[in-house]
Amino acid sequence: MMSKAKRSILYWIILAPLVVVILFPFAVMFVTAVRPRDELFVYPPTWGFSEFRWENFAEMWVKTNFGGALLNSLYVSITATSAALILSIPAAYAMSRYRFAGKGLYKNFLLMTQMMSPIVLVLGLFRLMMTLGLVNDLNSLVITYAAFNMAFTIWMLQSYFNSIPRDLEEAAWMDGASHLTSLIRIFLPLAVPAIVVTAIFTFINSWNEFVLALTMMRSSEDFTLPVQIYSQVAGRYQVEWHHVMAGTVLATVPVAILFSWLQRYLIRGMALGAVK
Amino acid sequence: MAQSGLSALCLLPVATAWTLETMAKKAHISIPMLMVLPSLLLATGIIGYPILDLAWTSMQEVSRFGKLQGFVGWENFAEVFGDPLFYASLWRTGIWTGAVVAGTLLISMPVAMILNDDFYGRGLARVLVMLPWSISLTMTAVVWRWALNGRSGLLNATLMQMGVINEPIEWLAEASTAFTVEILVGILVSIPFTTTILLGGLSSMPQDAYEAAVVDGATGWHQFRYITLPLMKPFINIAIVLNVIYVFNSLPIIWVMTEGGPANGTDILVTYLYKLAFRFGQLGKASAISLIMFGVLLVFTLLYVVLLSRNEADAAPEDEVKGHDE
Repeated sequence: MMSKAKRSILYWIILAPLVVVILFPFAVMFVTAVRPRDELFVYPPTWGFSEFRWENFAEMWVKTNFGGALLNSLYVSITATSAALILSIPAAYAMSRYRFAGKGLYKNFLLMTQMMSPIVLVLGLFRLMMTLGLVNDLNSLVITYAAFNMAFTIWMLQSYFNSIPRDLEEAAWMDGASHLTSLIRIFLPLAVPAIVVTAIFTFINSWNEFVLALTMMRSSEDFTLPVQIYSQVAGRYQVEWHHVMAGTVLATVPVAILFSWLQRYLIRGMALGAVK
Repeated sequence: MAQSGLSALCLLPVATAWTLETMAKKAHISIPMLMVLPSLLLATGIIGYPILDLAWTSMQEVSRFGKLQGFVGWENFAEVFGDPLFYASLWRTGIWTGAVVAGTLLISMPVAMILNDDFYGRGLARVLVMLPWSISLTMTAVVWRWALNGRSGLLNATLMQMGVINEPIEWLAEASTAFTVEILVGILVSIPFTTTILLGGLSSMPQDAYEAAVVDGATGWHQFRYITLPLMKPFINIAIVLNVIYVFNSLPIIWVMTEGGPANGTDILVTYLYKLAFRFGQLGKASAISLIMFGVLLVFTLLYVVLLSRNEADAAPEDEVKGHDE
């Protein structure tokens, strides 16, 4: 057997190329975001640049209406996450604690909805939102994100709920508490960590969604961040890349930090639930 | 499960004739059902209804502005199947999906095995490998589009400063290089999810099997070939099917980097579908393609359900409240 030190060196050598490729886009983002504008298109291309221009961020914020898109993204992601959770918590609880007619069917139905990506349905969804008068309305995204995330939230919550011992609830039932009371007073406080983790992943999913936002939001003041940044790149003769990259840094880094902090819970949830 | 539901339904008329006690039992059945109902309604409305609408639209002549102008039967489908661009996109979708899924799996398997082992800095390594997952595909694609810029992109800068190339390469100007690069980016962003699934499998491996193998003098390769791989098969299968579904459906990378161009050279079904629907206003044809893709997805989903239930058959069903419906 190899010693742990030797093994560590070997493993890091094997992982190194992958790590470089993963970090490369981040490096590109940072280096471009703080570059002076006239050093973007130099020949021959180079990593070096003359000075850190932190003003790029402030400039970008004003010129591209970053604040507006940020608010839109926050509104959509928070509302959609809340809606998905309010609908998923009772469903996940029922799936975890009861056996009832049609449960297996519902499980498979959820699976199907999870496999249906928005892109296959995008035309039908657009027509639906036209009928409902919700095109150009951020709430169309709230509804669709909640619906498309529900399979994930129910399944994630259920796998955590399964790991919460049910003795306490059973004791409450013995004492004459109704199922609703035991759910709210006893079970939910125990489930808070699971709910928080699920909420954050739903938030990130909504935050990152592109296809539906691109389709439903037709005017620039309704853009969410991914669409806003895409719109600065697509179909433009001249792209202000230092602004685009400053935007991506601001839009991705907080989420990346949050995700890095929480990823082990996701791994745990998957190990518990999906693929036992 | 569906069977017990059916038997409950058959018992319903009998039950209504029963006493209060049975009524209470019935009420118990409906509590969990009520809890599930709101989520079911939303999913049916937002995910179920559009499928029906697409099926209906695909049989109609549709104006540019979405007005249905009469039933035309299979004409939209006939138009799709007579379209060389459809076949080109279909073919490319196959290459895209196959290459990304195969590449992802080949890289993720050793990465997952390393991350499952104990070594210095494993926490950091896990965070780094998972990093691409946290970032919107759109943002990743935007950054790569700039990094691959033919004149001033930082990939060319890196390669030129390292002396690998002398002239900058126009990565995205030609379909063949653009598509290759897109596949590589596709692999990069699929690694975290795949590694997660495989890690879930590896962490449940029985250690005694390896110890016994070591006692019997099995080499590392033999352990991998005859213990790890067979035991990991269910997880690998699930990783394959899920990735096929996700990659098959993935629009942002190709859309942001090349929009299916140059000259439709990187179009896959989703980008072609999106162009037909929202650029060229060919809504009937776009609905037909949506429906065809839905069919393909359905096949893969059923495959996934079969794989899952086969895995679950091995694991005993865990603690559920004993049912009231039997």
